Amino acid sequence: MGLLGRPYKTLRLEWTGETRLLRVRTGVRPIQCYSLAAMAELQQVLADISANPGLVRYFVLSSDVPKVFNFGGDLALFVLLVRAADVESLKLYGQRCVDLVWWMEHAAQRGVYTIALSQGDTLGGGLESVLPFHKIIFERSAQAGFPEVLFNLFPGMGAWDFTIRKAGFAVASEMVLSGRLYSAEELHHRKLVDTVVDDGAGDLAIERAVHDVEPRHRGVLTALRGQRLAAPVHRSSLDAIVDLWAESALSLTDRDLRLMERLARAQARKAGGADEGAVEEIKRMELENAWGERRTGLDRRAGSGADRRTRD
Amino acid sequence: MLPMFVELVTRTDEDRRGFETHPVVVDAVAHGMSVERYRALLLELYHVVWQFNPVCAAAASRMGSPADEALQPIRHFLYGHMHEEMGHENWVLNDLVAVGVPVAVARSHPPGVHTLALNGYNYWAADRRHPASVLGMLYALEVIASVYGGPFASAMREALLLDGDQGVSFIASHATMDAQHMAELRVILNQLRGAAALDAVVESVRVNFHQFTRIIDSI
Repeated sequence: MGLLGRPYKTLRLEWTGETRLLRVRTGVRPIQCYSLAAMAELQQVLADISANPGLVRYFVLSSDVPKVFNFGGDLALFVLLVRAADVESLKLYGQRCVDLVWWMEHAAQRGVYTIALSQGDTLGGGLESVLPFHKIIFERSAQAGFPEVLFNLFPGMGAWDFTIRKAGFAVASEMVLSGRLYSAEELHHRKLVDTVVDDGAGDLAIERAVHDVEPRHRGVLTALRGQRLAAPVHRSSLDAIVDLWAESALSLTDRDLRLMERLARAQARKAGGADEGAVEEIKRMELENAWGERRTGLDRRAGSGADRRTRD
Repeated sequence: MLPMFVELVTRTDEDRRGFETHPVVVDAVAHGMSVERYRALLLELYHVVWQFNPVCAAAASRMGSPADEALQPIRHFLYGHMHEEMGHENWVLNDLVAVGVPVAVARSHPPGVHTLALNGYNYWAADRRHPASVLGMLYALEVIASVYGGPFASAMREALLLDGDQGVSFIASHATMDAQHMAELRVILNQLRGAAALDAVVESVRVNFHQFTRIIDSI
């Protein structure tokens, strides 16, 4: 099988012939993110699946990095491109991300049932990348969110479209605009995650999902195609949001980039063996933002009071 | 066809990540380093900065033929860049003094083999490979400064309890300054024409990231 024969640097592929299940474990070290190379490799796997119709019936995406599913975008690359004012490369990066979610969106048409398993931190683009999967499984200690707003950006590779479809407009707005992180249970409660299992039980949950779908695989996929026709996500919307994302990234200030670098540094610390990493840094940023807002709010109130006094 | 800068970023992204993800670099950006290692790094950096403008001049001098008129904007760009970078080796000396290395000691310090290899390659590439290869040196050094310089300077301030920019003035100031340089470099790279020129720039980026990683690893 040519699909398994290719040498990959950031992916580990496992094939279960009995169910024709392809499991892809991502391992972009030391910082687990969607680097250009990782995306190119993932795209190659998907192209191979498309080139061999009927071969793969189940596609499972999980992580090879303990306690991290994916940190999302390559922050150092973003900083580089923003500093270079390179909107073309930012758009190209965004388009490559959208190509991946777009393939997942149409996986049922290719006869493939998709399952994502998160066993750890799933941030920004990491969360966006799992949203079009047919089944999203989180282990209980996994956390996810869209922290981009903390450095004046927003998730631009499918977060809005896929979150609105799956969890509704209010949940999408809450998640994107707050920048906060959510536990697996909270995400399940918001209908964004389909199944929450105890830590270590993710593999069993995959087996169960396959076991449930297998006897009616064709029917399930046809139904899922219908589901996505009923509530379509449009490529034009995804592309327009990528363009907006890239253009807005260019307006990031030095302070915003410093926050992004702070997050990248936290990722590096965790990769270097520290106890605390990006998630803890995001929580600190949330707290600082909350204090900042509270201070700003007080200032604003004080200011408006002064105005009233002046008018009086 | 993609703009040259996009091609360059895409073709060298794994080399950038190779630098970024090297354990020694990860540790330096996350935690800084001991004063002894920081001194050793600045001593090597002094020689890189010392040779920076002469390498640019060597490349510019090989863009002198009217047959190379397409390279004229790059030549002019290099003149401007050299003017801006003039005297910056003294910033490194100031930082060395701030962390306890006298100027005379810094000036007499012989560069290590990786620094010699880095500088040697940059002269050779400008002279024998393609004069545009100098843009690869600029790109790699400016990425290192503008993307990783800021966090590294912060980590060094915390690790050595440095006051403000004292001891990190070269790295901290280039982290900000090279942001503007990156935007200018993108504009000039997009004016580059021909596969041979781009291949030379890509090779230079690879060698510069690789050798800079070796320098940090060896101190």
